Amino acid sequence: MPNQPSASRFMRWFDPRFRQPGTWAFILNRITALGLTLYLAMHLVMLGKLAQGPEAYDSFIALAKTPVIKFGELLVIAAGFIHGINGIRIALTSFGIGVRYQKQLFWIGLALSVVATAIFGYYMFFIA
Amino acid sequence: MSTERWTVNFLVSRKIGDTKAHLESFKIEVDPDEYVLDGVERIWAFHDRSLTFRHACHHSTCGACGMLVNGVEKLTCITTIRSVTHNGGTLKVEPLRNFPVVSDLVVDMGLFYTRMDEVKASQVVPVNNSTLPYETVEFPADGIEHERLADCIECGCCISACPVALTTDSYYGPAVLAGAHQTESILKDGQAFNLVDHADGIWRCHSGFECSAVCPSNVDPAWRIMDLRRRVIGHRIKQFFGKK
Amino acid sequence: MNRSTPKPNEGAGLWLYKIIAGLLVVVVLGIHFVVNHMVAPEGLLSYADVVRYYQNPAVVWMEVFFLVVVVSHSLVGLRSIILDLNPPQRIIGVMNVVLLVVGSGAVIYGVWLALEIASRGSSL
Ligand code: SF4
Ligand code: SF4
Ligand code: FES
Repeated sequence: MPNQPSASRFMRWFDPRFRQPGTWAFILNRITALGLTLYLAMHLVMLGKLAQGPEAYDSFIALAKTPVIKFGELLVIAAGFIHGINGIRIALTSFGIGVRYQKQLFWIGLALSVVATAIFGYYMFFIA
Repeated sequence: MSTERWTVNFLVSRKIGDTKAHLESFKIEVDPDEYVLDGVERIWAFHDRSLTFRHACHHSTCGACGMLVNGVEKLTCITTIRSVTHNGGTLKVEPLRNFPVVSDLVVDMGLFYTRMDEVKASQVVPVNNSTLPYETVEFPADGIEHERLADCIECGCCISACPVALTTDSYYGPAVLAGAHQTESILKDGQAFNLVDHADGIWRCHSGFECSAVCPSNVDPAWRIMDLRRRVIGHRIKQFFGKK
Repeated sequence: MNRSTPKPNEGAGLWLYKIIAGLLVVVVLGIHFVVNHMVAPEGLLSYADVVRYYQNPAVVWMEVFFLVVVVSHSLVGLRSIILDLNPPQRIIGVMNVVLLVVGSGAVIYGVWLALEIASRGSSL
């Protein structure tokens, strides 16, 4: 029978149409969760360069200063803010705090994430 | 009711037997202040007697007429045509999601009803336990124990909207968890906590709040799930320290 | 009607752990960020900087703590996502083992790395 729950329909988790801010938050949370997990794995592997001594690590750092990699890092930072701030929202609402303001909390959290990422980006690209 | 007439293209999901569902178009004239269910009934009455759909009360009490209207869960007997389309526009009517489709717009809610029984969700509740704590409704304090119908009309809209129910039917779903919350508020014996404290219960919900957005009957299932979480955690902590 | 019985795979305990670990990640990551991107010149630490930074035992402890919290939060979260797909109980069993091995592997590797870096201080 069609239309019933099926694990193969998981891509529809990411379909934001006809949905509410709560689901948009969920979509962002899930995408950033997967992205950050991947980043964590890569980060741990890359830090292994430290064990190979100064040359290996410092040349890796030189690579990390190229604009493309920096942009990738900024994405990770954005993901971190979105996931972290929304995580606080989920934690609060799950303990019954602010449940009726969850939409407002989502928009505030998203705005904070954008501002914070912009500050980091400005710092990374124009100051550092 | 106005004397205004609209022409609306109803796109109705049809499925007979094991065939694949497809949309069939019916252009009909309606009064925009009629309800979506009225349009569906007119199609059945004047265009195609083989169309199947569920309804009974026509006044948001039986919970039978939940459908997907232009992609969003609606109780079709109280959704005006005006609120979902425009003159000359289209109006897509599909069966609820996340339930097996029996035919056309009819879905099988058997598993859902079984679970409502499991959590002892009752249709008639004492008035003082019938509302959400944040609501300020005054009931007569005349010493008589008043009862009323529970808010949840078991329409299934919330389950249709729930993204977790989309991928797994082992998830209890918003209405059932809300039912458990109501049961606990009446019986206060902690039994409901055990019924929902598992991977297919309150911990599976990822706080999308879709259920509360589509609920036509003010149950606010997501609020109740969040409240259950808080209370289950509190209950477990107390248990851990030996208080029962 | 296929009727699956509820599975105790994620109860109050694990869920609460995920939330608390998540909040701890926010706190420690804040410190991590500031150190790695604000304090260090050029935005990133050089090898020598890293080794010097790791001479402080508090730093080693903090990094190890951070590692444990972040790895466990991400793996418990990943597990939640997989549970949403309603896998059969047998797959859940396999998944639990794989996640445990990956998690402990990552932590052991990370601790080794932290101690290794810290031990290089004398060569500076
Ligand atoms: S809040 Fe929970 S129960 Fe409600 S739609 Fe979202 S996942 Fe489903
Ligand atoms: S909780 Fe609301 S949407 Fe869900 S079945 Fe009950 S009345 Fe319908
Ligand atoms: S027909 Fe009874 S609720 Fe709509």
